[in-house]
Amino acid sequence: MPDSVLRLENVIKTYGDFTAVDGISLNIPKGSIYGFLGPNGAGKTTTIRMILGIIKPTSGTVSILGSPYALDVRNRIGYLPEEKGLYKKMKVWAVIQYFAMLKGMQKKQAKDQAFSLLEKYGLKDFAESKVEALSKGMGQKVQVLSAVAHEPELIILDEPFSGLDPINQSVLEELINDMASNGQTVIFSTHVMQHAERLCDHILLITKGKKVFDGTIKEAKATVSRRVIVATKNDITQLRKLPGIASISETDSDFPDEWQLDISDSFDPQEILRFCAEKKLGLSRFEFTEPSLHDVFVHLVGDDAREHQFR
Amino acid sequence: MRMIWLIASREYLENVRTKGFWITILIFPVIFIGIYFLQSVLRDATPTRYYLLIDQSGKYEQAVDVAIERNHQRRVLQTFVQYLLDNRIEADLELTSANASTAADKFVDGVDANQVAALDDWLSNGGLDFALVMATPYLKPNSPPFKQPENQFLLADLPDEVDISAPPANIVKALRPYLTGQKSIGSDDNSGPLFALILIPKNVDEFISRPRATPQAPNPNSGIQYWASNLTDSRLPDAIANSINAEIREQEYEKLELNIELVRNIQRTRMPLNQLDPSAALGEEAVSMADTFRQFAPIGFVYLMFISLMQNVQYLLSNTVEEKSNRIIEVLLASVTAGELMMGKLVGIGLAGLTTIAVWLLSFYLFITLYDSSDTELISQILEVVLSSDLIPWFVFYYFAGYALYSGIFLAIGSLCNTLKEAQAMMTPMIMIQVVPLATMFFIVLDPNNTLVRIMSWFPLFTPYVMMNRAAANPPLFDVIGTTIMLIASIILVLWMSGKIFKHGVLRTGQPPKIIELFRLFKLSK
Repeated sequence: MPDSVLRLENVIKTYGDFTAVDGISLNIPKGSIYGFLGPNGAGKTTTIRMILGIIKPTSGTVSILGSPYALDVRNRIGYLPEEKGLYKKMKVWAVIQYFAMLKGMQKKQAKDQAFSLLEKYGLKDFAESKVEALSKGMGQKVQVLSAVAHEPELIILDEPFSGLDPINQSVLEELINDMASNGQTVIFSTHVMQHAERLCDHILLITKGKKVFDGTIKEAKATVSRRVIVATKNDITQLRKLPGIASISETDSDFPDEWQLDISDSFDPQEILRFCAEKKLGLSRFEFTEPSLHDVFVHLVGDDAREHQFR
Repeated sequence: MRMIWLIASREYLENVRTKGFWITILIFPVIFIGIYFLQSVLRDATPTRYYLLIDQSGKYEQAVDVAIERNHQRRVLQTFVQYLLDNRIEADLELTSANASTAADKFVDGVDANQVAALDDWLSNGGLDFALVMATPYLKPNSPPFKQPENQFLLADLPDEVDISAPPANIVKALRPYLTGQKSIGSDDNSGPLFALILIPKNVDEFISRPRATPQAPNPNSGIQYWASNLTDSRLPDAIANSINAEIREQEYEKLELNIELVRNIQRTRMPLNQLDPSAALGEEAVSMADTFRQFAPIGFVYLMFISLMQNVQYLLSNTVEEKSNRIIEVLLASVTAGELMMGKLVGIGLAGLTTIAVWLLSFYLFITLYDSSDTELISQILEVVLSSDLIPWFVFYYFAGYALYSGIFLAIGSLCNTLKEAQAMMTPMIMIQVVPLATMFFIVLDPNNTLVRIMSWFPLFTPYVMMNRAAANPPLFDVIGTTIMLIASIILVLWMSGKIFKHGVLRTGQPPKIIELFRLFKLSK
């Protein structure tokens, strides 16, 4: 596939008895925004490190920008690691310049680029400050800029949103959208579904090192059945008589008498209202919503994620 | 290559910009020059000291006076020798007792050889006046006039309340406040604490001890009593004891009816001793001062090497730990190989270390050229001797070899630790190892080719230090070549191993690995 910027084939990474990544395959088309989703410890960072050639896979092949070794094409890749850090004693512009130069930019060009990025993303006043003087969020923005200053074809951001306030989160979303519209491919990992939902064309969902879903957002949502939330003090079981309703269950919320009705794809939710009016079932709430990515996430990896938390 | 250079230049600039770097660079010359001036200030600043002499026996007052006068004359003599060294026409370090030609040289050499005899000569020849006449032809035309040192010990006036015929215990009791500094002695403008009381009891002769006499129980009240709060300055009591003993001996000679003049002359007879070097060319065997400096110079190099290496590797370590704990390393490794990163660090920090040495040498050079005195002239002559010797190539080689070896080890340690605290715990044994050749450097210079030293040279961590230390003593060729091969082999091994550890260590979080894990690492990565 000529348009593929990154392809993984059955990539496995084991540490002793522990399998961190278990047979991941994926194919990322050029110019897309691709989300790596998964609970903590799912293997996202390990996968990213293997993509970048920082660690070697135990087995399987990686092809990045047409090359098996990321270092061969390193100047065309930008990378923001999960744990953020910069040289504390350096000036903000010099840090961006240094990392851009490590990616092959010329000194003068790298400096100009540093200043123009800082201006564009609201950090102009801090260009001459030392990194240690920045707040955590600002430092993180600087690090994102230093990862993308050399205008790479492929940008890999590991948890770029963590630690940013809502305003800076939207600045970062803007930056990611800018890059995508510029023809650059962006891969980012997150466990905050809203960002993925707003930004991504494609998502990869992994848990315990295994791929559980790979596809578009729309396809992801299709994995979860459509649902209607109703609240009533009357006997809800009468709704079972409706043919399109697959199951009825109590919701997780604290409100009493709130129910979730899973409905089949072709079923019109209006039928429920009509049925209730007929049977004189009083409804204090009726809500038909598209499933969110959050629901998809909980649906696909919910149990695994919880298990991790309590381990 | 470009990446290595880029990393190296960043490391260098960052290092040079830190406060710690400049503090290290400046503290050395400041302390060096500070100690130099402090010493000369202290030498001149010894205050005038007051003493009291109460001689109830009436026999030794003169002897004590002579002792104090001799002490003063000795200082005049020493100052004069220094004056002569400062101002004589030709200061020649290659001077030996055998080739001393002028009267002035002979005079200096005589003082070096036997100060007591020289002082006797000095006094019997008429002291300073004679010496000035003797030395004048050999002084530089614009020499400053000689300045005599002041009397160090002055006889104080006896306080009125003291009765010199009272029992010694009472006299001491009356004078105790003066001795402890509670009261001042002397006239108004010339007063100070009483430095010493010399009390010679009436019956002092009863305590003269002779060979073959029955030993007596030690008694603090026997003999001469020297009372002083200052316990460290022994010059005055020593001088007094010597002088009074000389007086007693003369009395004994008289009793035996010996010719005192003859005895004195016999005491001043001496045989010169020439130090000769069997490895020097015919006719140049005499060991000069320059030869001695050449032998001792390696100590300076070893020390310089130690300080500079310690500074560098510590920076290397803290810098690696910082990058690791900040996770910057991950970004770097996505851009460069672990090997490039390691080499960049080694080169950049190595250059910073060279900068330190260069600044030290420069400030040292500026000091000895700009500040003109006999000491700095001496130092610059020493420096010339050292620079013209073949020690410099040795130093350059062992400095770089030592740096490569130790930095490789410290880099590996740094890459395994997450905090500086952890790193320091692992670093301590390495410092202890380096202390061994440092602690033994004086012994090694004295006996550079002894078996133990030769064995030490073969231990690669010691090789740079110990072989540098032995460099002036023409170590056997077998040692030189053998240890060099060992050293280079271990540098290659250490850099290879630390490259492996570095690559795996830098991405590691949590506990440092166990030894067994490290072994597995080497096995796997082959």
